[in-house]
Amino acid sequence: MNPAPTALAAGAPIRPLGHRLARWAGPTGPLSLATGLVLAALVLPPLAVLLQVSLTTVNPDGSPGALTFEHYARLFADPALYRSAWNSLLFASFATLVSLLFGGVLAWVVERTNAPMKGLAYLTAIISMGTPYILYVTAWLFLFGRAGPFNDWYRSLSGSTGILFNPYSLWGMILVEGFLWSPLVFLLLSATFRAANAEMEEAARMSGASILDTVWRISLRLAWPAILAMALFVFIRNLESFDVPVLIGTPGRINLLTTDIYLATKEVPPLLGHASAFSVVMIGIVGVLLLLYGRVSRSAERYASVTGKGFRPRPFDLGRARWAGGALIGFNFVIILGLPLVALLWTSLTPFARPIRLAAVPSLTLKNYRAVFGVASYLDLAVNTLLVAAGAATAAVLITLCAAWIAARRRAGGTALDQLATLPLVFPGIVLGVAMMELALRAPFPLYGTLWLIALGFLVRYMPYGMRYAYSGVLQIHRELEEAAGVAGAGPIGTLRRVVVPLLSPALLSGWLFIFLIAAKELSMAVLLSGPGSQVMAVAMFDLWTNGQGGELSALGLLWALLMTLFATLFYALGRRGSAGAFGR
Amino acid sequence: MPERHHRRWALAGLLALLAAPCAAADPALVAAARKEGAVTWYSGLIVNQVVRPLVDGFERTYPGIKVQASRLPSGEAALKIMNEARAGKPQADVFDGTAVTFRLAAAGVIERYKPEAARSFPEGARDANGDWTALNIYVLTPAINTEMVSDAEAPKTLQDLLDPKWRGRIAWTNDPTTAGPPGFIGNVLTSMGQEAGMAYLKRLAEQRIVNVPASQRVVLDQVIGGQYPLALMTFNYHSVISAKDGAPVRWLPMQPAVEVPNPVGLIRNAPHPNAARLLIEYVLSEEGQRVLRDANYLPANPAVPPLDPALTPAGGHFAATLITPETTANKLDEWTAIYNELFK
Repeated sequence: MNPAPTALAAGAPIRPLGHRLARWAGPTGPLSLATGLVLAALVLPPLAVLLQVSLTTVNPDGSPGALTFEHYARLFADPALYRSAWNSLLFASFATLVSLLFGGVLAWVVERTNAPMKGLAYLTAIISMGTPYILYVTAWLFLFGRAGPFNDWYRSLSGSTGILFNPYSLWGMILVEGFLWSPLVFLLLSATFRAANAEMEEAARMSGASILDTVWRISLRLAWPAILAMALFVFIRNLESFDVPVLIGTPGRINLLTTDIYLATKEVPPLLGHASAFSVVMIGIVGVLLLLYGRVSRSAERYASVTGKGFRPRPFDLGRARWAGGALIGFNFVIILGLPLVALLWTSLTPFARPIRLAAVPSLTLKNYRAVFGVASYLDLAVNTLLVAAGAATAAVLITLCAAWIAARRRAGGTALDQLATLPLVFPGIVLGVAMMELALRAPFPLYGTLWLIALGFLVRYMPYGMRYAYSGVLQIHRELEEAAGVAGAGPIGTLRRVVVPLLSPALLSGWLFIFLIAAKELSMAVLLSGPGSQVMAVAMFDLWTNGQGGELSALGLLWALLMTLFATLFYALGRRGSAGAFGR
Repeated sequence: MPERHHRRWALAGLLALLAAPCAAADPALVAAARKEGAVTWYSGLIVNQVVRPLVDGFERTYPGIKVQASRLPSGEAALKIMNEARAGKPQADVFDGTAVTFRLAAAGVIERYKPEAARSFPEGARDANGDWTALNIYVLTPAINTEMVSDAEAPKTLQDLLDPKWRGRIAWTNDPTTAGPPGFIGNVLTSMGQEAGMAYLKRLAEQRIVNVPASQRVVLDQVIGGQYPLALMTFNYHSVISAKDGAPVRWLPMQPAVEVPNPVGLIRNAPHPNAARLLIEYVLSEEGQRVLRDANYLPANPAVPPLDPALTPAGGHFAATLITPETTANKLDEWTAIYNELFK
């Protein structure tokens, strides 16, 4: 690892060499080095494969051929490039806005006020993240589509033959993507708000500020680095997202930058050059955004509100506005969870795909559930999936905890660690899958086709999420606590373990939960990396989906979501009890 | 070359009946397969419906040989088999899939094998060189929602699809294979001729067919659910299965239909070549083919007629364009380019 680009990257003035070396020689130097080595080992090999694929032609046997810039040229050759780019920009920006507003406001209401039904918000986030993605999007499309109940009612009320909602539009896409990722924002910001010190808010309230004023001037400002980091992150994710643009955009003929790339990966065998070139360009963009972010959060200590002083976050009393908070939580439940679940339940009970109508009720049947319980192998798949997802989430949280602490505290190599841990965000799943496959095939020990390989793939893929959770968490904790630990003789590991981890536990828990839930439903890598003995649930669900066994899929999906919810709730309850100790609650 | 054919299947069936009923597989092969003890199959078929029943049947017939099946979509299957071959660590013994076969042949990773069980198969259902043998047959046709489209309104010919009333109301999968739009385009160009075919396709493109980013089966479900009244390139047996459950759907024997064999084959340098051959023999045998038939598939073995004989061009007396892996190798890129230019 070379510290030079780090200092530059952080936008810091170039310091004398001696000074820079001194940072490495400090007590955290070895930890930086170790974390850096682990991250480099995880991220750089797939990056090398990505670069290679983006710069070479493919021979008929699949091997890399001659050097070419054709994949990059093709990115800019699209005659409708400006239109696609504009659509992508609109899509990514507005979807980010929807996620942030919705998830953020909800997180604040749940964590910082006395609004009722808070548990419902957590339940909604957990179940929605445990539900397979494809089920979710199709459920919304089913409800709001041409033959869905809302357009049906509209037609019967207005007598028209048209439609009121057209989900196959840019706005449909934005809303779906925005709602889809709002649980991520909710979980992250709720960790931030939970750990925020309420003293300043209370001071503002006592000086006569209204609730809105207090939120605007204090709560939001304090959470600013976390919000900004979140916004950037969700924006990047939206920009490179394939699923929603393709599922909704293709029938609606709305092209985004990723549409063509996705189609190329659906060829047999997938053409990955184009996707890789796009990812390389995205890596450049992400690098710049992270640098900008580094500048903004340079003075992040100003925002640290978890200090050594008596620390008891207290919720706002919303007074009569409590119902408004409750209504928001209820709305969130209905949109994010209630409606899709109703659609899924309906599909799981009908013998074939039917619109929701009273006339169809007598035909409802439990045969799909019987079919699911009749397949004994689902149990193996469930166990495999839980193992892989839990393993990947645990490893990701541990690694990103170290990386985020070093990065947030601006220790030696901090920015480089942040960049490394965030890089995989822009790897398309299938490209990362191919890279992992190549590496495992060349590994001197039997890794190929095992569960370990899938877990490793998930770890690399979801590390960026862990990084965001941990990083925002560390920013909140004031240095003084660690300095006190240092004065008392604790080394960096001791400080991490005894001071940082307990205070960071809400963020780490949220991060673990998020990665666990999202990894359990990952498909593109799971399909490539699983061998005959290491199949996971997502592959079985894909099977049902391709085969149009929508009813059985919905039944399996619902049962699966139930299992994931039980598992996640258990974990969360245990974790919260732990974090309650650290915060004196 | 794509060719129209009507009665070849019926003839082959007759021949199969005349041939002596196929006895059990070659004992030497069985012994060699037992020694290997296992076989790995990368399959694009549906696990619960077809793969698992076939595996169970095989393991019952040949105890001591374990089948490890891995479900893979065609793109991923091609990618894995080719990468494993290049790394010198082939993992799988048997592959199947319409879209996979010709790519694997081009990559040189197929081990040629002419199964005993396929001797009675008609010409279009097995490769002359032994690269592949058809496991089952797909027949792709349009399908309608019968609540939205009456029999009188239903399109009868390709020309009927150009009626302005269908504008924006026809759906098809965006699957870039011969079982998707490229296969439809190939069918039109083959049956109408290049010039008339292109003129037709240009007019069809003005109908703004909806590209649904999902499998043929999902598109059909959207027709059943009332999203679209009409879909092209659906597997005709799917309509029959759903109609049996009471779904308002019917497939249209619009001529010519598209007929695609679903090939199965052996992978070069397979770790268990003999068990692989035995598995291929089994799935093509009458016993194996009955498993496919019972799952409502159209068996390739002429000795096992489908549950509904009207589904095949021979049994239903409709013309079809046969698209083999060889045709696919020669034409798919051209047809896909036309799809991308006109319909996307």
